[in-house]
Amino acid sequence: MTSMVVGSNLLVDLLSGPRPAEWASLREAAEGRLEGRDLPTTKDEAWKYTDLKALAAIPFGAAPRATVDISAYLLPEMVGTRQVFVNGHHAPHASCASAVPAGVRFLPLSTASEACHALGSVKNGLTPELFEDLNSARFEDGAVILVPKNLKVALPLHLLFLTRADAPVAVFPRVLVVLEPGAELELVEEHLGEGTYLSCPVVEVRIGEGAILRHERVQRESPEAFHIGTLKAEVGRHGQYHSRTLSFGARFSRQHPWVRLAEGAEGTLDGLALLDDQQVADTHSFMHHAEPNAVSHQLHKCIVDGKARAIFNGQVRVAPGAQGTDAKQQSRNLLLSETARVDTKPQLEIYADDVKCSHGAAVGQLDPEELFYLESRGLNADDARNLLTYGFAADVLQRVPVASVRRALRQLVMARTQAASLGVLA
Amino acid sequence: MSSTFNVVTSQEYKYGFVTDIEADSAAPGLSEDTIRFISAKKGEPDWLLEFRLKAYRHWLTMAEPDWAKVNYARPDFQAIVYYSAPKQKTPKYASMDEVDPELKRTFEKLGVPINEQAALAGVAVDVVFDSVSVTTTYKEKLATVGIIFCSFSEAVREHPELIKRYLGSVVPSSDNFYAALNSAVFTDGSFVFIPKGVTCPMDLSTYFRINNKDSGQFERTLIVAEEGASVSYLEGCTAPQFDTNQLHAAVVELVALDRASIKYSTVQNWYAGDKNGLGGIYNFVTKRGLCKGVASRISWTQVETGSAITWKYPSCILLGDESIGEFYSVALTNHKQQADTGTKMVHIGRNTKSTIISKGISAGDSSNSYRGLVKVQPKAEGARNFSQCDSMLIGQSCSASTFPYIEVQNRSARVEHEATTSKIGEEQLFYFQQRGIPAEEAISMIINGFCKDVFRELPMEFAVEATKLLSLKLEGSVG
Repeated sequence: MTSMVVGSNLLVDLLSGPRPAEWASLREAAEGRLEGRDLPTTKDEAWKYTDLKALAAIPFGAAPRATVDISAYLLPEMVGTRQVFVNGHHAPHASCASAVPAGVRFLPLSTASEACHALGSVKNGLTPELFEDLNSARFEDGAVILVPKNLKVALPLHLLFLTRADAPVAVFPRVLVVLEPGAELELVEEHLGEGTYLSCPVVEVRIGEGAILRHERVQRESPEAFHIGTLKAEVGRHGQYHSRTLSFGARFSRQHPWVRLAEGAEGTLDGLALLDDQQVADTHSFMHHAEPNAVSHQLHKCIVDGKARAIFNGQVRVAPGAQGTDAKQQSRNLLLSETARVDTKPQLEIYADDVKCSHGAAVGQLDPEELFYLESRGLNADDARNLLTYGFAADVLQRVPVASVRRALRQLVMARTQAASLGVLA
Repeated sequence: MSSTFNVVTSQEYKYGFVTDIEADSAAPGLSEDTIRFISAKKGEPDWLLEFRLKAYRHWLTMAEPDWAKVNYARPDFQAIVYYSAPKQKTPKYASMDEVDPELKRTFEKLGVPINEQAALAGVAVDVVFDSVSVTTTYKEKLATVGIIFCSFSEAVREHPELIKRYLGSVVPSSDNFYAALNSAVFTDGSFVFIPKGVTCPMDLSTYFRINNKDSGQFERTLIVAEEGASVSYLEGCTAPQFDTNQLHAAVVELVALDRASIKYSTVQNWYAGDKNGLGGIYNFVTKRGLCKGVASRISWTQVETGSAITWKYPSCILLGDESIGEFYSVALTNHKQQADTGTKMVHIGRNTKSTIISKGISAGDSSNSYRGLVKVQPKAEGARNFSQCDSMLIGQSCSASTFPYIEVQNRSARVEHEATTSKIGEEQLFYFQQRGIPAEEAISMIINGFCKDVFRELPMEFAVEATKLLSLKLEGSVG
């Protein structure tokens, strides 16, 4: 019971600040839904495996503006196509959009006009999650990306969200991405930070007919941080949305990706989580085949060490009439310690008969035969184990299209799996 | 392309007749008095009445579960008759000749080998009609090897120490809403006890029948296999056709000690309601087996074709080291039927293994869901699970869902889950027809192929029945 009291305080505290000026109706609607609501508990089916008690116990305040040296975070391909946000506020000194091609809008929300950019318009027919509503009620800033018809953007765009706080703060980054028909874009979205904070980003994506978005999402929050993100993507006819979420940081992270596929569209929701110590990473995904002949792929991998916990709840729904659907979903989990834990629940809900759907889930440790094979070729037991662990993750990483991101992530994974000494990349 | 699969009326329910037998019933409604009435009627000892009352008081504090993917009008628990027994002069028949001929004809229609001809079938049968067990065949023969196979009421009278020890030991009376209700009002059922080292020489079987329009059926089955014992148990169910819904809330408990093996097979063909979803049985059943001993084994095989609503998860608690749990299921839904069924495998002991094979077939406007849990507890070193859940959809307005929960807390565990969905392809049908096999027969062959992994786990005569049943249920589904 005590947690409930603390929980309601948390919501009240987070909402007690002044309501930012723009997007009043979106904020009012969200506040209305939040009224009288409490943090979910493990009695709620959707939160069965994730306990928010630790979150409820922390008094989060508003995040102050700050200046940060971001030179360490620059990505060579995107030096001139970056927008940086520090503690939820746009950081003009750190951002640079000089290489963004003409016609593409890549702006901070604070300088965008409400009339042009309808936030909250990507609707999935479900009541928004509490944390999505919190974002709608209190977001300060974020980014708007708009790519006009048939424009294929050559350079990837970089969105960097940095949070740095001495006392616990809460930030609510907001992103809207609109691709007009035939447009193409690569987007890298990164979340980094130091200290104790709560980050609740909401990303809305609308992809027009035949447009293609490749979306890399890297979560490297501080080890004390909480990250609860929502992604809503609506993909038009024959459009494509390919996203990959790579979770390394945060003591607690949860992702809510939701994708709706129109006729002939293609969707990918890949994920990799590398967890150690007391980390918890939870993914609740929803792939909605709303119309016929759409294709979806999902490969979600977790490597769990220490006392960490990975949770995956992946739902695939094939709506009535969505004939010719081809949906694949895989949840693969590697347990590296005695005390690690995995809870996975891949779900299929099918309301059409002419479909090809499959899902699979596997939880286990490294294959003794594979270990033996490597040992028989002269690797010692530790190296063999590290190499196989790295290989398990590399499968997801090698598909990252942006070279510098791919390299950085590989190095990160190698360091975490202690495979660096093997010179895999040499 | 969908024109090939027009769902039309399927074969009418063959077991939908009502038997006109005078019944000795309680007034509808549920209270402590009803429970005392049932208990007194059955001449039960005080401890059992206490067990019932405790369950009832707990039930009052519970809410009906709503997490399953089924929609139905909630039963009115005060409108149900909790005790309905065929009226009889003496509590049990001395020989088959004394059984009411009307009742015998009912079972003949059902094809239950109740009379001495059962010798040919080699099946010992306990028949439960509405609330009470009517007769048990082959009792003496089984008794010579020390096996107890009798109605639950008789077991309470003759073997109270066994009942007291095992009743509620696998499914506690507070386990869930319907198990609590059953624990409060159960009327009869079967009891099987296989002593140490004995392999039951024949398949044991129970046939359940709901006859009274307003009655619910709340039977209780308890099977105990001692060290090294083994038994195969079959269960069949039918009910007459009424346009109201009847409630069936059974509890089945299995206990397997060291190296014991229990195989439990069900062909469930309760009345499913008509094609518009009127009437039919609510089948809310709790079935659970406890692999208590080392290397014990419990295997559930079910063919679920009936009931308007099915809510059923036969489970295995793998407590003993090296114990094995198995679940083989075919669930077919047609018209407006809704089924939410699956299993739970809880790995507690070391080197425990479980296998789940589930085949769901949905046709018409039905909804068919697999819901399962595989849980590996921290001490279950070397646990292994393999699950496969396949669905087949026939027609455009049915649905198939899969909800597997996998919870692993031990790194040495290997857990694999696979699920696929398919339809009967035009090409497959064309191939059959090209070779002179008509569509209807082709469908039946494809479905049998789809279910083969489950059917081969069934005892012979059940496998034959199941195959026929599926064909009947889908007859006319393809035009």
